[in-house]
This record gives sequence, C-alpha cells and structure tokens, in this order.
Amino acid sequence: MQIRIIKPGMLSTLQDRGRYGYLSQAVPISGCMDGLSARLANLAVGNEDNAAVIEFTYANAEFIAETDILVAYAGDGATLSLAIGDIPAERPVFIPAGTNIKLNNSLLGSRTYLSIAGGWDVPEVLGSRSTYLTAAIGGLQGRQLKAGDILNSMDRLTPIAENILDSLKDDGPNYTNWSLARQLLLPADKKTIRVVLANEAGWFENKSITDFLTTPYTLSLRSNRMGYQLDGAMINRIISDELLSTAVTPGTLQVTGSGSLVLLMADCQTTGGYPRIAQVAAVDLPLCGQLKPGDSIYFKEISRSDAEMLYIEREKQLAKLANAVSKRY
Amino acid sequence: MQTQAKVKSVFNIYALSERAITIEFGHVIDEGLLQLVNNFNSLVNLHPFPGFYTTVPAYATLTVFFNPLLVSQSYLPGKGCFEKVAGYLTQLKDKPQGIINTLAETITIPVCYDDDFGPDINAVAGLHNITTQEVINLHSSAVYKVYMIGFVPGFAYLGGMPDLLETPRKSTPRGVVPAGSVGIAGKQTGIYPLETPGGWQIIGRTPFQMFSAMRLQPALLKAGDQVVFKPIDKQEFNRLTAK
Repeated sequence: MQIRIIKPGMLSTLQDRGRYGYLSQAVPISGCMDGLSARLANLAVGNEDNAAVIEFTYANAEFIAETDILVAYAGDGATLSLAIGDIPAERPVFIPAGTNIKLNNSLLGSRTYLSIAGGWDVPEVLGSRSTYLTAAIGGLQGRQLKAGDILNSMDRLTPIAENILDSLKDDGPNYTNWSLARQLLLPADKKTIRVVLANEAGWFENKSITDFLTTPYTLSLRSNRMGYQLDGAMINRIISDELLSTAVTPGTLQVTGSGSLVLLMADCQTTGGYPRIAQVAAVDLPLCGQLKPGDSIYFKEISRSDAEMLYIEREKQLAKLANAVSKRY
Repeated sequence: MQTQAKVKSVFNIYALSERAITIEFGHVIDEGLLQLVNNFNSLVNLHPFPGFYTTVPAYATLTVFFNPLLVSQSYLPGKGCFEKVAGYLTQLKDKPQGIINTLAETITIPVCYDDDFGPDINAVAGLHNITTQEVINLHSSAVYKVYMIGFVPGFAYLGGMPDLLETPRKSTPRGVVPAGSVGIAGKQTGIYPLETPGGWQIIGRTPFQMFSAMRLQPALLKAGDQVVFKPIDKQEFNRLTAK
C-alpha cells in the first residue's frame, strides 16, 4: 500500500511509541504526543500498537492513495475527508487507489494520527521508528514530511489486518460500522489534568502549590513537541537550592528560574536542572498532547498509587479492545 | 555495596513517573558520589528485573525506567509497581557485591583550538589574564571525567577542568553552535555533538563525531569515562574530518 503526500500541513512526522533504549545517551523518548489516539488508530487496522503512524499537526494536509489502502485515524487535530464526504474516526477505512484525502480543520485539538495496515515502512533507528528532528533520526530520513513524499506500508500484515481488508475491499471507500470509541477511555473533563506532586514540591510556597492546583494555566505560543511554556500564577520558592541535573521525562512539570511552569513533552531532554513541582499522570498525557496555544487547563492532585492504578486500568482496557477486534476477525 | 564517597551518601528512592524511579545518592557534585551512581548503574544493568527498560545516570542520581504492566504482573514482592521496584533496588543495594566492572574507558579527543573554531578562546584568555596558548595548554593538560550525558544526544558534561579556566556561560546564548564545538561553562567543559543553540564559551572544535545513530554505541562517551584533549592544528583537523 502506498500514499503520496500532496500537502504536508504544519508539522507531519512518523512516530511510534518511542525510543527507550538510549536514554542514558541523552536520546529523548520522542514518539506520539497523544499515544492513546495513535494506539487506537493502530488497533483499528489490526496492527501491533507500536507500528509507525503519521502524526499530523492541525489540518491543511492532503495526500493521495497511490494503491488501495486500509487506514484508520484518531485524534483531535483534523477530520479526514474524501470528495464524497467525511470519514469517521477510530475505525478501519478502505480507500481505493486514486482517491484524494484531505485533513479538514477540527477545533477540538491539535494532533491526528494516521495508521495503515502493516504500519508505515520506515527503518528502525536505535530501536524505534519515531522521528527526532534535532538529531535528524527516525521516521522518513529524520525529517518532517514534505510534498511529494511517497510512503509505503510494511509488506507483512497481521492476520487480523488481512481479514479486515478482505471484509472491506470494495469499488469505493468503505468502512466498518463499529469503532474503538476513544471518548469512553477518556475523562469527560479534558481540560483538567491529573498530576502527582513531585520530589521537589516541598521547595515551593504553600500558596504557590494552592495556586498551581486551583488556578488555570494557559499554553503559550512557545510550545512544541519538546515542551509547553505555561502562563499563569507564578510559583515561588521557599528553598532556593540549585537542583543538580537529574532525569526528567515527558509529563514532568518544571519551575523555571523566573517561577513559570514548563510541561515537558515527547521530545524533551533526558535530564533537567529545574526543580519539579509535579508529574502529569501518564493516562492524562494524551490529553496534553492535544492542547494548543491559548488552551487553558487546571491541574488536579492525585496520589501516586492512584496514578499507577489508572495506568494499569488503561492498559487493560486497551488489551480488551485489541482482543475484541481480534475476536471479530 | 562499598561506599567510596567522601561526602556522606544517602539512598533515597522516589517515583519520577509511573514508569520511572529515581535513586538519590547525594546532593553535590562529588567524584565519590559519581562512582556510587556508576557502580549502581552497572549493578542494575547486570541484574535487571522483569519489565526493566533502561537507566539514566546523572550527577548524584540514577533513574530506572520500566514497563509498569510487566512489573505489576511480575513475581516481585510489593503492592504496586513503586513498592515492587523500590524493594528490588533496595535489596540489590544491600546484597554483598564483588568488584563491579563499570567498563569505564579513557578516550583521547583531538581538538583544534584555532579561533575560527573557538570564537570565544581569546575572550576566555583575556578574562583570566592569560595567553590563548596558556588556555590551550591548561585545557589539554587535564584528565577529565564524564559526569553525565544530557542536554542533547551524546552531550558529555566533563568535570576536572583546571580552576583557572572556570568561566561563566555567555550572557546571550548563540543561536547555532556547530557540531563538535568544545565549550566551557562554569567548572565544566563539554563538546556539542549536534548543531544546536548553546550558551557555553566555545574554545575549539573536534573533528570526531560525538554522536552517530549509525554506530553500535551512538554516543562516543558514557558516564564514568575519562577524557583527554589533544591539541591539533587546522591541517590535522581537516585531515581527520575527511577520514
């Protein structure tokens, strides 16, 4: 299966679940900003959930199916649409060769993930297919997609993907009436991000901790795949020690020297020297991956063991969904 | 485990995230603490637990990454992932160990200190009232220790620089520092593996590739390694670059 990029949109890169093997050499994890949407897009076409997907940022992108393709998309950055109308998300879609596919604006979020049966065929670099632009590694030649790029799927399909393809193959676009409803996995309130207080939380004034947990923070324009600068109540220190650089990870909320908050995201450095006020619960990182400049969020404290339980629960729900798809095909 | 730190070491464990636990050995930059971090790093990697992914050593901490699902399903005792992994790491610390081979190496890195490559070398010399040649002699006379890899892939923070060269960062960082640039910031020196923005005082450049995804070990240096700089002229730089 093959597509050709006609318009790449603002920032489109190949990503998978991340590069974990080289953190000690300061190679960031990278991977999808909204890993939940990406995994659902993969599950919907019967892929392993670590298969490479395209991460589109906002809309204004377009591509053409050069062969018949079996794809799925999920995320809040755009709606996929064909000449005959919009395609629903979170389910497998068969699209015949020669069809143009556009990403139309969605005001909900920022990122959309496109999977293809078999996964996108880009080489593994340091154990992952994720693009990391700073070091120009992973994805398609270590760079973002541009007009004219040809992308192929891997030759080998899972038996599930084969069966989904057989069931949908038609003269025109065709999709299932079932879907993997992402909303059922997400909290109703998508602008409240659950956090666990971090090791240096005691370095800050009580009032600042209260402000942090009760007042809104707004994503500034200085936000990208490495991290988000958040505008809101300043965080003041009672302990002015310097933190010796130590490991940080996506979801870490750092407080800079001037008292402002930075939320580290997928391409963040592996170590940092700013004291940390909190860590975003892993289950809410996908919500953060959908934020765009101007969005306001609140932080809500949960316990470490609750965050852990939510994580395990989410993994079990995803395993159940994968199981349901495989039973059906 | 034998304690070699001159400063008092601790063994504090805290959760960084659902997937990572940090062990804190102390709060200062100290060769003994670094040794403790490196030794424990080797130990964890030699004795991984179910779900173990990787480690990130830093100045006085070691962070251990894992897959929570595999940890929660493992035989490790404890209620949740944190208790299971923290418990495992604590008993690993308390187990008597033989000699730990940390696989540290000594690596010689050629550096051209020409001011075309080291745009700040004359300013650094001026600041300390010494000649540029003295900066070169001092910088290339020391044996450095890799304290930590961080910032960008393969960036090694090197300790052990002669006190006389201690120089604050530039007040305004450069938008572009070429790959291979050798810099000074405070008491530390380091080499930029990739072209990135940066605020360190740049005094030279190495023709060596400090990071390459094509190599088995992509980063040339790892925490614990020793480093020696060898001054080379521009001709030698070009010859080595061409290689």
